[in-house]
Amino acid sequence: MERDLDNANPTILNVSQLPSRTRKGIAARHGPDSRCDSVVYPKSHWPYGSSSSSDEGDGDGEEPVDEQDIYDLISTISDPEHPHTLGQLSVVRLPDIHLSPSPAELSDRDSLVTVLVDLTPTINHCSLATVIGLAVRCRLEQTLPPNYRVDVRMKDGTHAQDDQVTKQLADKERVAAALENDTLQRMVDKMLETCA
Amino acid sequence: MAQFKQWALEYVLSDDEPAQLEITKKAAKEIEGSRASSTVVGNWAASVQQWMTPANADDDQMEDGDESGSGDIIARAKVLRLIGFFGAMFSYDHKAGITASAKALRQLYAMKAFKPDMGAGILDHVCKIKEDFRLQTAVTRLEIYELFLSLIQDPAVSSELKHKYGSSCGFVIDLLQLFQSERDPRNLMIWFKIMALLLTDYDPSPEVTEEVFKVFSAYFPISLRSSATPIGISAEDLKEALRSCFSAHQRVASLAFPFLIQKLDQGDAVTVAVKLDILKTIKTCIEQYDNPQASIAPHIEKLWSSLKYEVRNGEVKETIDETLGVLRTIARRLDGTKAYKLDVSLLKAYVDLVSRDCRDDLANPTYTKQAGLLLMTVISANIRAYVLYNGDFIDTIRQNLRQPKSPSHTRDLLLLLNSLLKTRMELFRDREHGHPGDEESLRTESRTNLDTLFHDVYLPIWTDKTKEPVPEEKDVLKQVIQGLALLVSQQVLRPDGTPVLLCSDSVCSEICSLLNLTITKGLSLSSNDNEAEETGLEDEAVLALRTIVMNYTNGYTEFANRAKAEIRKRDWASASEYSLNALKDLLSRLTFIGCSEIPSNIERDTASQEHFSPLQHFITLTASLLEIFPLSSQTSSLESTRTEEGLSANAHVISSLHASVIWFRDACEAKYGKDALTSYAAGNQNWLDEFRQLPEDWLLQMARGERASDAGSASLKEDSDVYPQFLKLSLFIVRSLYRFASSSSRESWDERALVQLSQMAALVVRSLDEKLQVSCNLAHEAFTFFRGSDDPPAQQASSDLPTGLLTLGILQGLRPGALGGLYKPDGEAERFMCDTSNFGHSPLRESDIRAAIGAVLANKYKGGPSTSDPESIVMKRVLDFWGNWMKEATTSPSPTDSATFQAHNTIAMNVIAGAAARQDKHVLNLIPALHQAAASPHPNGEIVAKSLGLIVKQNDLLTADNHAVVKRFYKQWAYSHLVKPLLQDAQPGSKDSQAATRHRVAVLSVVSSCPFTVYQDDLDLLIRLLVTALNNRAGLSDEVVWSQVVSALEILVEILSNEPDALRGYLREVIGGTTKVYQECAAQQQGGGVRTTCRKLVLQVLGAIPTRFEERHLMAYSPPTQRMLAVACGDPVRRVREVARKARANWAKVV
Repeated sequence: MERDLDNANPTILNVSQLPSRTRKGIAARHGPDSRCDSVVYPKSHWPYGSSSSSDEGDGDGEEPVDEQDIYDLISTISDPEHPHTLGQLSVVRLPDIHLSPSPAELSDRDSLVTVLVDLTPTINHCSLATVIGLAVRCRLEQTLPPNYRVDVRMKDGTHAQDDQVTKQLADKERVAAALENDTLQRMVDKMLETCA
Repeated sequence: MAQFKQWALEYVLSDDEPAQLEITKKAAKEIEGSRASSTVVGNWAASVQQWMTPANADDDQMEDGDESGSGDIIARAKVLRLIGFFGAMFSYDHKAGITASAKALRQLYAMKAFKPDMGAGILDHVCKIKEDFRLQTAVTRLEIYELFLSLIQDPAVSSELKHKYGSSCGFVIDLLQLFQSERDPRNLMIWFKIMALLLTDYDPSPEVTEEVFKVFSAYFPISLRSSATPIGISAEDLKEALRSCFSAHQRVASLAFPFLIQKLDQGDAVTVAVKLDILKTIKTCIEQYDNPQASIAPHIEKLWSSLKYEVRNGEVKETIDETLGVLRTIARRLDGTKAYKLDVSLLKAYVDLVSRDCRDDLANPTYTKQAGLLLMTVISANIRAYVLYNGDFIDTIRQNLRQPKSPSHTRDLLLLLNSLLKTRMELFRDREHGHPGDEESLRTESRTNLDTLFHDVYLPIWTDKTKEPVPEEKDVLKQVIQGLALLVSQQVLRPDGTPVLLCSDSVCSEICSLLNLTITKGLSLSSNDNEAEETGLEDEAVLALRTIVMNYTNGYTEFANRAKAEIRKRDWASASEYSLNALKDLLSRLTFIGCSEIPSNIERDTASQEHFSPLQHFITLTASLLEIFPLSSQTSSLESTRTEEGLSANAHVISSLHASVIWFRDACEAKYGKDALTSYAAGNQNWLDEFRQLPEDWLLQMARGERASDAGSASLKEDSDVYPQFLKLSLFIVRSLYRFASSSSRESWDERALVQLSQMAALVVRSLDEKLQVSCNLAHEAFTFFRGSDDPPAQQASSDLPTGLLTLGILQGLRPGALGGLYKPDGEAERFMCDTSNFGHSPLRESDIRAAIGAVLANKYKGGPSTSDPESIVMKRVLDFWGNWMKEATTSPSPTDSATFQAHNTIAMNVIAGAAARQDKHVLNLIPALHQAAASPHPNGEIVAKSLGLIVKQNDLLTADNHAVVKRFYKQWAYSHLVKPLLQDAQPGSKDSQAATRHRVAVLSVVSSCPFTVYQDDLDLLIRLLVTALNNRAGLSDEVVWSQVVSALEILVEILSNEPDALRGYLREVIGGTTKVYQECAAQQQGGGVRTTCRKLVLQVLGAIPTRFEERHLMAYSPPTQRMLAVACGDPVRRVREVARKARANWAKVV
């Protein structure tokens, strides 16, 4: 790369180390002996007739949006500098995501929920912190329902100018203006390409 | 020119030798006399050429004619003269003449009258061209090269040349001078060939050899510039041609090796490609040179000292591999050939050299791997090298393992030790193809080092690391486990030549118990103690044990007993989920270890020889499982388990029995081939009769070795006996379990266990061929459950679910031909197919089973003469019965309750489905009744309409695996008779709107179960129905409405992915309708699965639309759809949210 990187040597987490949604109960084991498990320990043990298909399949139960959902949405955004995701670089961390009030406790599906994401730049003078914040904001606004308010901030003390960056990201006008800028828009699009 | 032509003609025509001579002289004079000699010579050559150019055949004719006329001598003189004639051309610088002359000389060489001494003459002549050779065009030179090649290859010419020049090979020097600056690739190919020939065939003196070597080595390393006009020769061809010069004869060895080594030692100046070329050349030389003592041995030290660095410090995998290849080749050459072994001292010196240099490196973690690679390569090259050094090698590793520098150092050392064991196994296996001396040296190999490996090396490391290992140590432990498996697999030769296992029984048993402990640990620990998520170590142990018990067969009995004891220690009646999972893992592993490979018959070095049988592990396992079953006798009753997610311990045992059959079947297929599974000849035996003579615990007795009966061991002489014998045992197991399940002790069987048993029975039964199914009368057993007349009859339960499952298991696997006996009029089959009796506790489950049995029976039906239904009336009666039943149920003023009707209706539809798959013509007679029933305003009418799709729905029982009769186009057939007539009536706005609605439900139900191609011709009519279905719900019950919507959405998804254009005119209705459906589904809190499915399908449909249509068609709908999708992103179900996000992203692109 022609340009010097702000942080040439970030710490990178392995994909398997990232927080992920583990299934309830004990995860299915995949040993050498598991090949015929699908036959002898099938998911739905009743293979006959109509009742097997109308049974509630796995994952069709109600699971309101939680922090892990938000994490899954934004941890796959690519870093603008490195060929890694924000999750791998620990820019986005699960404990730094807060939902208030938690949708699980809400009775009315349309009531307002605030999503608060604190970002941790890899180094405290990262010049791309704003862009990263912008991308996270875009991603969340594109994927969350309208009753979610998104608040993206720099974690206190992680960036030399965290106040300013946070203020910029909170300013709707400035965010909209930034996205009018073709170069920025392209950059953000590029970062969001890796999100499924 | 004309003059020359005339002379040439005269010369050819003339029989008179003086006259010919005269003409020649004239021509010569003319040439000599002219000033611009090259033109003249050109003219001359052209005039001669027309007499020379014709192909060989013509020459021969001409020559033959000559011979018959004037005899051999004349012809010979003529050829001689011509040679002189053309040869003279090379003394002049005559560009135009050289090609022609060379061609002419080649023609002459091909003539019969050509004599070897003339060849020498030609060489002389041609060499006179000297410096001018370089000035010739490449094509001309090629001609000359080819001339020379043919001369030198000719045995007669070559012996003449040898006779004339001796080992000084004077002509060679001339050649070298002539050709040495060749650069054209095509010419080089021949020139290299000539040089190789000179070296191999001409026995040149050392001086000459050196000269030749100088010439070709100057080309090394050769490369080829890429050219725009391909010449059909690649750089690789050139490299190989040049390589063959190097490897042509061992007489260049003393020159070649130092030269190549010097090239290699240039270090970074050499590119990888060149390095590879050098290494390949060295390897070819080593492979090709004869007499390795003299040609290779003197250079080994130098070769080793430069090659070792390639591996020790090398980074490129290719060069490392190639270098190892060279080192291995050296070891092989020094060993001798299969027929003739060289003296061992050479090999020993080489192995010593290598080991001396590498031994110290093993102590250095940085170089352990590389040093090990070098050592292993040399040792593993052949048996002698292995026997020479294995002791030392193991010693060195052992010493290093005592003071390892780091866990990874230990791991690398173990890796080496393991690969030594693996190598030993391979060498041992290939011993029979080698020299007889090899086997002898294996026999005398010192065993002490190997014997002590377990106690000295593996065990201490295991004990040291096995307590709470960190991840790095886990890698070490994995290596230890792999090593143990390899160690047990080692065989040695007894003095009489039979192979036996290396390790004593006690060592094998100790190893097994170590690994057993690792695997059974999960069961004995409590859930708090065992938090290890990662099962890598256990998995490694499982694989190792599998290898071990293949060789050390007693190990499996030990393991099974241990597992059995562990399992029995606990109370399974109220086991926790953790314990049940641990049980499942243990049983699953036990099954895998015993049944996924067929054990091999290796004698052991003990006096107590037990009978070996390929089936013994299978017997041990199944006997153990049967022995521990049931684990708890008071499983919650059948009805209550269904709602619980937890599995019972008993079901795990049955699952494992099922798995053992699957595994062993696959193992048979892998070992004996697919044919073994289909082409066994069990004939007309009645296995069930045999079983009746046997005690109930026959398997157990066999497993304990108390009964080495027919099925056990002795009769299994042939590989082809194994599979039938396995089937027989499996059938015995099925029989025992069926008898058990149908006896009074029902409590042990929960639903899962019964389903597993039923599927296992299906697997076993369908593997039997038709003859056997008939001779065992299995169709009958489907209803008597293998109970004899003396046994108490099968227990009648409150519900017929268990018996139904058992019946289904057997029927499902039977071939149509074996079911014949059931189809007597008023027989069992008819009774089952027309069963409208009441249900027990669980109508849904029971109707599922009855429906499945009905489908199987209706599908495998065969009537007609020579069957038990000679007039083919059974099927007709069955279908008529259902037709009448439906008519009555949908017209009767006092309806049965809808749940019971629905359950019976499912049975009816499945019976029809079974018959329809066979395209039974009686189904057609039933269709009007179906249409009528579906259209009936009676509450049951819509249930019939909704379930009509079952007739063509994918059914796992109706597959080729289950020997079902499925016609290829039956869905088209069913569609055209069942749906087509309804399409018009179902359209909105037809006269009877109530009937239209019901017909619509019926159509959509059937169509959604058909593949797209079946209905693609009727899309227009269908789409109108779809749109109506999305928007209009009048006149239907809630359940039917939603099932109709699901069908409609499923069809829309299909249409969108296959022929979206058909929807273009209906986009507004589709988008509007689906949006409405989504909002309705989302608004209702309850409703469960169907609503979720609807929402998901709606979002799939909406998400697919922007990818199929151009923006201009969608602009108008974009804003509302995007709003709706944004809301959908907050759907309470996670999977729906995922689909919604995708749809939203697709619509976001519509601006």
